[in-house]
Parts: sequence; C-alpha cells; structure tokens
Amino acid sequence: MQADVQLFGALRGLEPGDRLLLEITGHTVADARKALMAHAGEHWPAAAAAILPACAFASSSMLLRDAMALPEDGGLVVLPPVNGG
Amino acid sequence: MSTHHYRVLDRANGALDAAAALDFVSDPGFGGITMFVGKVRELNHGRQVVGVSYDIFEPLALVRFAAIAAETEKAIGQPVKLWIAHARGRLGIGDIAVVVAAGSKHRDEAFRACRMAIEAVKHTAPIWKQEHFSDGDSVWSEGCSLCEGHQPR
Repeated sequence: MQADVQLFGALRGLEPGDRLLLEITGHTVADARKALMAHAGEHWPAAAAAILPACAFASSSMLLRDAMALPEDGGLVVLPPVNGG
Repeated sequence: MSTHHYRVLDRANGALDAAAALDFVSDPGFGGITMFVGKVRELNHGRQVVGVSYDIFEPLALVRFAAIAAETEKAIGQPVKLWIAHARGRLGIGDIAVVVAAGSKHRDEAFRACRMAIEAVKHTAPIWKQEHFSDGDSVWSEGCSLCEGHQPR
C-alpha cells in the first residue's frame, strides 16, 4: 500500500513540503517503519536517518505502535523525540 | 461549561495570555491556583540564544492536552480546572512558550496538578523546539522518544 507520510521537527526539510508518498510492503506500522528506514538510507543524510529508530508513528488522533495496522486513510505522521515547553 | 482548556496559538496571531489562564482556572470553590509559565531564555549550554521556533502537530497535540488534563484530574482525585496552551512558530527571548494553570480546592492539589500537567506536556505532546543561536546556527533540541518502551526523561 501507499502512505502519505508527514514529517515534523528535525525531519522537516528532508522532503518537498515535508511529506512523501511511501510505498509499503505490508499493512502494519512496523512495515512502514521498515520502508521509511530504507527510503532514508537512500535519500537522507545519515544524521537524519539515524533519528528514525527513536521516532514514533501516529495518525491525527493517536500514537500507532509497531504491531498496529496502518490507518485506512493512508495518512501517517512521523514524530521525532519531543521537547515542548 | 468545560473545566479544561487547551490551545495551540501561532505566535504570528498573538501571545499566550497568562492572565486569561488564571481567570479560567479560578472558581469560588477553589482556594489554590497555580501556574507554570515557560519563557524563551537567552542562554542554553553556554550558547547565546536569539530565538526559538516551535513546531507542533496540532491535531494530536490537542488530543494529548485533553488526555493530560483528564489523567491529571484523575490522579489528583479532586476537581481540578486546567488550562494548557502552547505557542507555535518563531519566538523571541522572553516570549511565553507554554502556559499551564491549575485550580483546585487546596494548594497541594493545585501544585501537583500543575507540575504533573507541564511535565506530561514536555514529555508526551508532539511538540519540537529548534533553538536559533547568535552565530547563525539553528539546532533541533534533543527530546523524549514516544516509541514503545522509551521512558520519559
């Protein structure tokens, strides 16, 4: 399936408009993580790709754990480690 | 009327209003009102900061703020009014980045609720801080991973 992936924080600027269409083999968040890691390894600076293992995935309303199914609407958000306040 | 208020405010549209937060959490039945105001400071790790940019994934941040307020009130075990607001965009030195206010019957509950809520905002809300330094460098600050198994620092 294809996911519309949005990037925030330290991942901004890596893709036009801070989003990319990611082709994913499989239907779980773990599959999306694997696909994004592969994409990052080919297209992103090493320092940016190195952030991904610490990134969480989310929909617009909840965190998505690796074993969960990808959102049906195809939207996916990548959340680098947070530091508000 | 809701006893919890959450907001993400673009700096370009105004500044966070601490007085409004105090008004919101005030109540004739509450004797304890506490507030945390987080401001942009001019030094970090010895480097001169000239500004900070906050990036926020607003839909999830508002969901998270609501959950934080509910979790805080449940943990306190007493009625608590809470105001949680965070700024987005470029802020200057002294600008307010975050306001958390709590009102409850007594000071202990109010202090605990405010501390609990601001720590949860800092460690669990989808917000990112980029510091801008006087030498022209800009750096995204390290943070807390929201991945499974990671504990808030």
